[in-house]
Amino acid sequence: MTVLILTCEEDVTADMVVVHLNAAGIPVVRVDPADLTGGVALSGEYVHGRFRGHLSAGGRLVSIGGLRSVWVRRPGTPAGRAAQPSAWLTEEAAQALYGMLRGSDARWMNHPDAARRARHKPWQLRLAQRCGLPVPATLITTFPRAAREFSERYPDLVVKPVSGAHPQDPPRAVPTSRVAPDTDFSAVAFGPTLFQRRISKRADIRLTVVGDRMLAARKTADADADEVDVRFAPPGAPWRPTDVPSSIAPGVRAYLKEAELAYGAFDFVEDADGTWWFLECNQSGQFGFVEVETGQPIARTIAEWLARPLPEAPPRVNGANTTAR
Amino acid sequence: MQPFALNYARPAVELEAAIPYVYDAGLQLNVLHDGRVAASDFALLREVGTTTSTAGSKTHFDD
Repeated sequence: MTVLILTCEEDVTADMVVVHLNAAGIPVVRVDPADLTGGVALSGEYVHGRFRGHLSAGGRLVSIGGLRSVWVRRPGTPAGRAAQPSAWLTEEAAQALYGMLRGSDARWMNHPDAARRARHKPWQLRLAQRCGLPVPATLITTFPRAAREFSERYPDLVVKPVSGAHPQDPPRAVPTSRVAPDTDFSAVAFGPTLFQRRISKRADIRLTVVGDRMLAARKTADADADEVDVRFAPPGAPWRPTDVPSSIAPGVRAYLKEAELAYGAFDFVEDADGTWWFLECNQSGQFGFVEVETGQPIARTIAEWLARPLPEAPPRVNGANTTAR
Repeated sequence: MQPFALNYARPAVELEAAIPYVYDAGLQLNVLHDGRVAASDFALLREVGTTTSTAGSKTHFDD
């Protein structure tokens, strides 16, 4: 059976997993939905109570019934590179492709429904609280007065996008940034704004979880640095493997179970007492940079998860595997 | 009328190094000009930064 990887061609991080799947002799088909209906084609028929579907890409043909797993990595917008792209064609292509795949018995990393829900940062914060993970005091508001009052209670604040998305017209990034105590909060009225108590960190933590396996990496930080967003900080100390505290591991497992995620990249910051504070969980977070620096076998672990055989189908009424009693 | 968070926006990060590999549809992998698989060269991946978690991606925001 085949592993289907939905990602763009330039995704060299996905390559790290493909290398392991190839070495294990697991068939792989890599598809970028953006290439529908150019280099990628699909067909599915629902006849006589059965479904038969196929995908083709790069000269490979795969039966949708023959998929063991689907890895949704960095897929492009469906039909985004069609000869005459349009919002309507994108919706048609998305419905056809993901609709057919949803009907397969393949295991997902991660299922689109779970992924969509898991992207909501406010939902992440609440789930982390319910799972017993330490969450910094946070406010999401459009009330300038609420922001001012929050800053009086927590004078050392950071601001970050609610969605994690970044404006593209023109392309800009909005890093997690410190907010000065005397800031004018009136512009909070013009868009929901996420404020969070800044944790004076001694390290950033990236915890990559694949199925049941946790691979944590730690990067020492300067607690007083003005740049609080590790993605924008100078290179500094390297990422190093670290253990997951016993106080954190159960909460992480509970989070992923509740979120129905097979993969999650958690960001924590470690304070001076060694407490890991939950910041977010990226359901498709990058892992290549961690593996490159730490040598942790993240790609191999993903490949092993994707390569696992499907569980046996449960007995079905009138099915061939039903035992008559 | 600019939302508060955009007061902290900065230009999106651009990769400084040229990407030294191209996608090979037959292999379903990116390969270097000498034919080696790019993903197996960790020193190169570190140098070009294409596996790094960065903000400002045009298409994806799961860093």
